Amino acid sequence: MANVIFKDVHKRFGSFVALEKLDLDIHDGEFVALLGPSGCGKSTTLRMLAGLEFPTSGEIRIGDRVINDLAPGKRDIAMVFQSYALYPHMTVGENIAYPLKKRGIKGKARAEAVQKAAELLQLEALLDRKPKQLSGGQQQRVALGRALVRDPQVFLLDEPLSNLDAKLRSYMRAELIELHARLGKTMVYVTHDQLEAMTMANRIAVMHGGRVQQFDTPDAIYNRPANRFVAGFIGTPPMNQIDGTAEGDHIVISGHRIPFNRADFVDSLADGPVVLGVRPEFVAIGSGDGLPATVRLAENTGHETIVTLELPDQTRISARVEAARKLDVGQKVALRFDPAAIHLFEASENGTRLNLDETPAAVIPMRAK
Amino acid sequence: MKLVRPVLLNLITWSLVLLISFPLLWMIVTSLKPQTELFRIPPTWVPETVTFEHYWRLLSETPFLRYFRNSVVLASTTTVFVVGLGTLGAYSLVRFRYRGRETLAMLVLFTYLLPSVVLIIPLYLMMVSLGLSNTLFSLILAHTTFALPYALWLLRSFMEGIPVDLENAALVDGASRMGAFRDVIFPQLLPGIISTALFTFILSWNEYLYALVLVNSDAVSPLTTGVMSMLISAFNIEWSLLMAASVMMSLPLIVVFAFLQSYLTSGFGAGGVKG
Ligand SMILES: Nc1ncnc2c1ncn2[C@@H]1O[C@H](COP(=O)(O)OP(=O)(O)OP(=O)(O)O)[C@@H](O)[C@H]1O
Ligand SMILES: [Mg+2]
Repeated sequence: MANVIFKDVHKRFGSFVALEKLDLDIHDGEFVALLGPSGCGKSTTLRMLAGLEFPTSGEIRIGDRVINDLAPGKRDIAMVFQSYALYPHMTVGENIAYPLKKRGIKGKARAEAVQKAAELLQLEALLDRKPKQLSGGQQQRVALGRALVRDPQVFLLDEPLSNLDAKLRSYMRAELIELHARLGKTMVYVTHDQLEAMTMANRIAVMHGGRVQQFDTPDAIYNRPANRFVAGFIGTPPMNQIDGTAEGDHIVISGHRIPFNRADFVDSLADGPVVLGVRPEFVAIGSGDGLPATVRLAENTGHETIVTLELPDQTRISARVEAARKLDVGQKVALRFDPAAIHLFEASENGTRLNLDETPAAVIPMRAK
Repeated sequence: MKLVRPVLLNLITWSLVLLISFPLLWMIVTSLKPQTELFRIPPTWVPETVTFEHYWRLLSETPFLRYFRNSVVLASTTTVFVVGLGTLGAYSLVRFRYRGRETLAMLVLFTYLLPSVVLIIPLYLMMVSLGLSNTLFSLILAHTTFALPYALWLLRSFMEGIPVDLENAALVDGASRMGAFRDVIFPQLLPGIISTALFTFILSWNEYLYALVLVNSDAVSPLTTGVMSMLISAFNIEWSLLMAASVMMSLPLIVVFAFLQSYLTSGFGAGGVKG
């Protein structure tokens, strides 16, 4: 069993609180992404799991061992660093062999393990080269090879793809998914790229300001964001958030009344200020009856157009329409929101979501676990 | 027009080279001339008869070899001390965070800025009270205090160039802190260590003032003071012997330089940019 548990973990650097009340329960064999903006504490979380940083309080477990004070080498983990951290003076072969060497595995067993890892990652031809003589993608594979040569319980990856160009990144993404499926090992993957998290992970921990905002499947993160931060972080463009007022079974925005189904929301939802959230794909642009808006920008990406619209109170929101749709800048339009796709949030800065969650607003294709 | 610049540049460069190398050449030439040819006017540029008698006399009739051995022991032990302490110190200054770390580094540099003449009397008194006066070891200690600050800064700038993640990777891969240092940091630091070692060795080999003040027994004198007191008296300078001794004193440095000069220049470069 190689589940990973963070229990009430806090981490301070001096007086700066980097992580607050971190609770994560990562299952055996699961691929978990830590996702969040720069400085939110992703790397710190990973480094504490690796033993390169120590929690100020709380407990970290791998399997049934508390590893708080265990040296990195004793935790049975392997890590891929963002910078790859290949040993420059060693050949590719020596790099991959190093973790085995440090664990006293010698001779034939070592050579065979290196060979196997090299085959898996198509590095056989490069074994005698120095890291400097490799391309970025090859270096990345060597770093992976060094991690998986010794069959650890947990793999830690800190933004392993961020130094690669877009094409190689999508290729390596697929490779990693396949690798995870083949090895069935617990993997903790740090990234600030939501596409990576959404496509690769079984579950995503969305982090912000040293706190986990939501820890759930990509589907849930996208369709049932826990709060305004998650809603505004996930999706390109992210979910629109519009200030409004709840009045009975209507939300009033700039004097315009939008109906919603009160039964879909928590009882505590009272009349007063709320934030209405709606994903760009559920904003219908028409004319006549609807929330009045002005087209400010239309960006055609080829297969769709992202439209930026301005509401009467100058809030800007985006809508996703088919590429063929012709919209002129300055054009007056009327917006309607699919009632089933409406989210409501508390009006506070990072207000929680008020929907009752039986009805996922949409379904996006998901990776089977 | 286009030719003027390179020609001028070459002219200047070569005159400088000539200017600098002339004393060296003259030293070698003089050491090979027989006594009779030494003071001839006009001087002979190439000795008419080449003789090694001065070298022979130096080695067989004077304590030159003893001074030489003292110098070798002095310079190499100092180098070992300085490189060892410097590496550990630089590692601590770069890798660990503690109160007063920067202040400490600045203080170290500050001692380097003090002229050695200022430090020499307190140092002498300390050696006396430690019972170390007139020993080679007192000189080793003195040279270490003298070379360590610069070495520390040089090594620190080299160390800063080594990514922390390299060491972290080694720790995760199962190495102990010492193991990570040996397997990963040390090989990366080697150019820095070599240039620091060279710098220290040269400094200690050529050092005169401390040797003069701290040691006055002939048995433990290094080359610099030993040769001076042996060959230069108020009445007489033994030129030919002095020149032969000078050639032999320079020889180790020249050999070391020839083999390791690329490290040395890279070291001074790194120290210059970052230190
Ligand atoms: N050794 C340290 N000393 C002081 N503060 C630190 C230290 N390490 C990290 N921090 C702070 O802790 C916070 C979280 O850092 P962390 O490296 O975990 O961020 P991250 O989520 O990985 O960001 P990025 O995406 O930029 O890598 C940051 O504000 C950072 O400045
Ligand atoms: Mg990070």
